[in-house]
Amino acid sequence: MNPLPNAFSRRTLLLGAGSTAALLALPACGGSSTETPTGNLSSGGDPWKQFSGTSINFISENTSPSAAIAANLAPFEKLTGIKVNVQQMDLDKVVEKCKLDFSSGTAQNHVIYADPFQVLAPLSEGLADLTPLIASKDYPPVEKGIEDFIPAQLQSLGRYLDEEKLFALPYDAPTMILHYRKDLFEKYGPKMKSDLGFDPTPGENTTWEQYFQMAEWFNQNAKSDVKYGIGCQAKQHDSLQCDFSNLLWAYGGDYFEKGQELGRLSSEDPGKVTVNSEAGVAAATFYKKLVKVAHPSSTTWDWTGLADAFVAGELAMCVNWHEFAAGEEKAFPGKIGYSVLPKGPVRRAHNFGGTGIGINANAKDKELGAAWLFVNWATSPETQLMSLGSKVGGGTPTRTSVYELPEVKAEVTKSPSKYPNIRTAPAVLEAWKEENIGLRPKVPQWVELDTIIFTELSKMLTQDGDPAATMAAMQDQMTKAMG
Amino acid sequence: MSAAVEARPTAEPRPQLRGKPTKERHGFRTFEFALMAPALLVLGLLSLIPFVMLIAMSFSKVKTLGGVSLEFAGLDNWTAVLGDGSVWASWGRSLVYFSSIVILEMALGFVFAVILHNLLRGRSVMLSLVLLPMFLAPVMVGLLGRFMLDSTIGLYAQLMQALGLDTDVFAKTSTALPAVIMIDVWEWTPLVALIMLAGLTSVPPATLEAASVDGAGFLRRLFFIAVPQMMPVILVALLVRSMDAIRYYDIITATTNGGPADSTKIIPIRLYEMAFRFNNQIGRAAVVGLTMLVFSIVLANIFVKVFGEKGAAHVTNVAGDKH
Amino acid sequence: MRRRSNLQKWLVPILAVVVGLWSAVPIAWMLITSLKPQTAIRTSGITLLFAPTLENFSNLFFGGNKVGSFLVNSLVVSLVSTFIAVALGCMAGYGIAHWRSRHSKGLSFWIISTRMAPIAAVIVPLFVMFRTVGLVNTLPGLIIACLSFNLPFAIWLMSAFFQQVPKSIEEAALVDGCNKFRGFWSVALPVSRPGIITTAVLCLVFSWNDYAFSSALGGPNTSTLPMAAGALVTQSGIDWGLLSALGVVVATPMLIAGLAVRRHLVTGLSLGAVTGE
Repeated sequence: MNPLPNAFSRRTLLLGAGSTAALLALPACGGSSTETPTGNLSSGGDPWKQFSGTSINFISENTSPSAAIAANLAPFEKLTGIKVNVQQMDLDKVVEKCKLDFSSGTAQNHVIYADPFQVLAPLSEGLADLTPLIASKDYPPVEKGIEDFIPAQLQSLGRYLDEEKLFALPYDAPTMILHYRKDLFEKYGPKMKSDLGFDPTPGENTTWEQYFQMAEWFNQNAKSDVKYGIGCQAKQHDSLQCDFSNLLWAYGGDYFEKGQELGRLSSEDPGKVTVNSEAGVAAATFYKKLVKVAHPSSTTWDWTGLADAFVAGELAMCVNWHEFAAGEEKAFPGKIGYSVLPKGPVRRAHNFGGTGIGINANAKDKELGAAWLFVNWATSPETQLMSLGSKVGGGTPTRTSVYELPEVKAEVTKSPSKYPNIRTAPAVLEAWKEENIGLRPKVPQWVELDTIIFTELSKMLTQDGDPAATMAAMQDQMTKAMG
Repeated sequence: MSAAVEARPTAEPRPQLRGKPTKERHGFRTFEFALMAPALLVLGLLSLIPFVMLIAMSFSKVKTLGGVSLEFAGLDNWTAVLGDGSVWASWGRSLVYFSSIVILEMALGFVFAVILHNLLRGRSVMLSLVLLPMFLAPVMVGLLGRFMLDSTIGLYAQLMQALGLDTDVFAKTSTALPAVIMIDVWEWTPLVALIMLAGLTSVPPATLEAASVDGAGFLRRLFFIAVPQMMPVILVALLVRSMDAIRYYDIITATTNGGPADSTKIIPIRLYEMAFRFNNQIGRAAVVGLTMLVFSIVLANIFVKVFGEKGAAHVTNVAGDKH
Repeated sequence: MRRRSNLQKWLVPILAVVVGLWSAVPIAWMLITSLKPQTAIRTSGITLLFAPTLENFSNLFFGGNKVGSFLVNSLVVSLVSTFIAVALGCMAGYGIAHWRSRHSKGLSFWIISTRMAPIAAVIVPLFVMFRTVGLVNTLPGLIIACLSFNLPFAIWLMSAFFQQVPKSIEEAALVDGCNKFRGFWSVALPVSRPGIITTAVLCLVFSWNDYAFSSALGGPNTSTLPMAAGALVTQSGIDWGLLSALGVVVATPMLIAGLAVRRHLVTGLSLGAVTGE
């Protein structure tokens, strides 16, 4: 029924084995590489203006940078004369609509929020390779070059299987770090230190075991100020897997044989599922112990619920995405501290939740050109700076140069800060280092695996399951899902 | 299948005065069919094509990238779905969810209707108030439920806390399902009440005047005289709610999204997961969809058989009394 | 006058108030929340004293989501699809109620079974169909999508209503020399007016509330209000103030519609309207 597989195999025969790479590169539409359409260059010669009058659609998860951009599109429209409709919805809907859109052969949404797990890995053939657009002299250059993007992020969010191709530019970079109430640590710190026998202030030296002890200590000794020491994002949701992954990696485990490499370029063969390792069971055992001392509502919270509770003053510490800093700063100005995550027996790992934006491979001509101008603009240092200070947003820059701007650096320790999210910069910059970043595997089956992981963990937490049995069941189902 | 159509066999023996002999059958070239034609055309296009595609997809490996394409896969999808214990478990939960919703909504809807029917003053104001929830989109209702029951900021959660009750209803496997059921009941009981109220209005007024009799007599009349007369209406309410109770998943998506520990993962959530969240499982989703359709049809048949005929008999009796 | 029993005097009004509260409290709370400033919402304590603000509403309409155009889309889609569903539904409902054929049972069952289609499963085929004929991200496309669930519903409900029109009335008309069309148009339709209104209100509610179809088949230019609800659940938190304001906006038009036809809903809403009082 489908002519494509035959066409592929015939070509394979004709071109021989040497061209398998070229074959992989074939986008779904059958063309070779992304075209670089030009618009009306003669009028004034401003490359930003060449697609003036075009209208494009940007589909995005409702994240801070998209909210900031949606609320402040005027500069882009003025710069280019292109009209952009930003449509924001939850990630499930984004994926649903991308799947439908890619299936139609034409582009309804031109700029795509390319979640690395739900869009990039399973649907990379539906995304245009940006390399020719970046290289083309007909467009304004990417300011400060591609090198300005934090390297680990560019690799993780933009590439998939093929080192030569770039499917998306890093757009946001939420990362899990430790959030804690500095005021409480100041008040109780000395007593905690004498009770527990270590310096409680979260930082480089804190271990997961100490985090657990501090949680317990708060539960027993600080009821008048705070209900519980910690909260977890342990709802049966992606968040539960995110929360747990930090521990799995810290204990030296990983989801697949090829481990962290799958979060970078990834591989068509991820190797065996390895979640049921000794490290995996140890991490699950510890996580179960941790949730027991956490706020009892933890099993209903995803990251939003956890952030709400932290902002409502119910918790002394939590592990959450750093982009919540803006909201926390509003509730407790200057009183929230941020640190790297505690370390485990093997390493320290911070789950990285960034996303890139890319272009629908079905976009053509003016719309393709306009989409590229938008992607270029939306990930530029100026736009990231704008988004960082936006009232509705509070973005998370993905470019080194933004973090080095003097006006940004100056805000790191200020309160009230013009850029509240930047208060987390010391922690996240540390977290993004090669040895500290935690990358989930980019495999097309990830959503299904994710569902298995958080469902099994949820059972373990709410039905008092045995960690070893949980990991065994997880291993079993994941292996089956990989086929 | 409507109660109305079921009523026909019982109505047949009565003298027909429609100007034509009783036994005459209608064909396709009649005024009646001409009236139906435009609607049937629209429905045919909107349902037959997807239905055929659904069947085709259920036997195929479906690829969506670069245009939908089907590759014949035999019974792969069917064996995968029918052999998947988690799908069966999900069906089990769906049955609990479904029957709780329908039973609670029918019972409460009836009670609401009787109360409103007997209210002498302020009935229309009360009716407007009671009907409010059904005017909110289910996705809004789900979010509102989450807001009201949020253990940190929710009004109901705080009231429950004041009563010393456990407030994390979405956190425990034992309370999550009842919670989403109650949210659905909150939204759709008004619709059932509205339909039931319509039914009550058609019952001769004297039957139900609570004023005329004591409580016990009232209840007796209610159940032995009014309810049988209302059978067609009850069937309407039952069918409307069961069709949707098995299809809709907006409320659960907005609250628990299937958790905790899968305790609220009913079959349409599983279907959505296969169709859109997971990679390359649209064929399996089609299988689940078809089994859902079969389930609804069988169920509707049973309802019509059980309630339809009983109700139809009463309708004819009442109609006979009137003339 | 008969003496009112205590049952009717006390019990019924008390129960009615309980029922009213059960339904209305969450909605009242939503209304209150929509008028609260952000700081009064996110506290763990019941706040009733606060300085009311329209901030949430202004953010809703003038913020990033442009709810105003969503509202217009929702109104157009629901009203037009309801009108078509009720018009075609009346015709087909009348037809099927009077069509004496051995196929009528099967036909009416098929009609109602189309309302049972599993939503997530039929979205893929519907999308492909709509895309082929260019209906995706258009208002007519959404209107047609609403017809897929409202039309069978309207036919089914209307056939039940027409079935209950006393035969004597229609017979009298036919005896008077009316043809079948006049029998439908001038006799059955007017008599069934309360039924038509009920059907219309229910169709309106279903299309107004639809999220699954409109989110899959709509697009940036055709988003409806329930889409806005989905968009307000952001990664960095749910803005309950905004969401409550949206809830108020969503409920108000339906409430107005409901109030406008209240007379019919209260007194005439009956499957056998003419046989009752």
